[in-house]
Amino acid sequence: MSDLLLLVPFAAVVLLNLLPKRARAAGTWIAFAVLALEAAAAFAERFGYAGEPAWSPLGAVFGFHVAPDGLSGLLLLCAGLVGITALLVAQKTLRETRERFFFANLVLVALVGINGIAMVRDLFSLYVFVEVTAVATFILVALDSFTEGRGTEALEGAWKYILLSVIASVLMLLAVAFLLLSAGDTSLEAARGALAARDPLAWIAIALFLCGLFVKGALVPFHGWLADAYTAAPAPVSVFMAGIVTKASGIFALLRIASSTLNGATPGREILLVVGAVTILVGAFLALSQKNMKRMLAYSSVSQMGYIALALGGDLRLGILAAGLHFFNHAISKAQLFTNAAAIERELGTLDMDQMGGLGSRMPVTAGTSAVATLSIAGLPPLAGFWSKLLIVLALWNVGEYGFAVVAVLASLVTLAYFLSLQRRVFFGKRDERWAAVRETTPGLWVPAVALALVTIALGVGFPFALEILLGGGA
Amino acid sequence: MTIEIPQAFWLYFTFFALLFLDGIWCMLATRNMVRVLIGIEILMKSVTFFLIVAGFLAGRMALAQALVITVIVIEVVVVVVIAGVILGFFRKRDSLDVSNTREMKG
Repeated sequence: MSDLLLLVPFAAVVLLNLLPKRARAAGTWIAFAVLALEAAAAFAERFGYAGEPAWSPLGAVFGFHVAPDGLSGLLLLCAGLVGITALLVAQKTLRETRERFFFANLVLVALVGINGIAMVRDLFSLYVFVEVTAVATFILVALDSFTEGRGTEALEGAWKYILLSVIASVLMLLAVAFLLLSAGDTSLEAARGALAARDPLAWIAIALFLCGLFVKGALVPFHGWLADAYTAAPAPVSVFMAGIVTKASGIFALLRIASSTLNGATPGREILLVVGAVTILVGAFLALSQKNMKRMLAYSSVSQMGYIALALGGDLRLGILAAGLHFFNHAISKAQLFTNAAAIERELGTLDMDQMGGLGSRMPVTAGTSAVATLSIAGLPPLAGFWSKLLIVLALWNVGEYGFAVVAVLASLVTLAYFLSLQRRVFFGKRDERWAAVRETTPGLWVPAVALALVTIALGVGFPFALEILLGGGA
Repeated sequence: MTIEIPQAFWLYFTFFALLFLDGIWCMLATRNMVRVLIGIEILMKSVTFFLIVAGFLAGRMALAQALVITVIVIEVVVVVVIAGVILGFFRKRDSLDVSNTREMKG
């Protein structure tokens, strides 16, 4: 069954390109259907089974097997929700049918990669699917420059992203080669065995692979590409990238490796702790000094990814639960904030926060939803972000990493500071004359924002219930 | 299981390291985007070579072969996309110089 998660998006891409040119507007609806199935699959699939799946065409033809578990379900749900949001945003912000058609296509290609990342248990397959996602994203970032008369900004963002991505690919492939040399196989099981046997070659392999994932997930010191790529990309692409692409190809792969190979072994754990703490602080302080709304959100993403790395360095079981939860919360909230940014860009034509102010009374829904998401990411109870941050701090406290736990708590204050500054500059204060005629944005942009905000609130309020499901599901 | 590292490994490794450094140097030393692309290619070739060596030394040539073919396919796709970006630049800017592209502020 889980093979379908790879085959259906792929078949949908083929189908989309068989459509006659006049029917291309239908492409978006096909993409919607696939993404809805994706979100449903996260619930319907009985994850966590062992042994051979009952029906596996990929296994029969290529000898390629996937093994989904609770964590995969989490990523599938995120991908479905964020993908639908991104497509809705695309309907309102990309003007030409042609652009929307390309967007739907590339989202589906990226979806093949994301689903693969969710389910594989092999270092090389992981690399392949990360690369599939990356290639689709390269084109997505540059999407704006297909239109005549646009500048080269989008191409510059794509170029930076490509250069760093290539470095990441090279590091990951080297890691595969070293693992092959050390364990004679590329599966995560083999890596775990070689690490347990304290083979230096295996440690080199894991260190290289982690570096590659740090680039993909934009952890400090490899965060340079992220803000440029997010800012240069058109609005729906930044929703999609911030919500799921960077998270799946960098952070989820990191989660997978930490949970199935590292096993809390010492050097790996310390690397994650240090990189995580540095990323949190550098990202938060860079976010404080930004004027462009999307850039601030991008650096906030960098900072929050640091929390996930930090959680993986903590208590093994609790850390993975906390990381998975923070992954979900952040994907939902950041997709929503980029949707809010898209709404503001559409109504005002600018993202410079110094020119804004007092928009709260004009755009109440956008202001309200963005307040929910920012407060959730900053970790205010009873929103969802509070619980995942609490679990992260507990995971660190449990293994006696008090210093890092304190960093995590204090950095929350910086998060609150830059998000309050965003709220104040955009939605409160004195309104500029120019924005006198600004109205609330179209329902096409505020409905997905409200839906995602409701998810954040519901998960926060009903957290004990949700936790039970997660623990019961073996996440 | 840990395999013994034979003497021949260092010969292969030296060749890989030279190719790898060559690729890095090629990417860093130029401002021409096409040359950067060539640097990327050299870098990827060095890693592909190392993958073959690893398969050979670990006695898993069949596996290494499958991996290398996959890598080559992926590489072709990536190169096409990069070439597309370079072409886009050239059409809009009439130049291949990367240093012209510093419009973005950190």
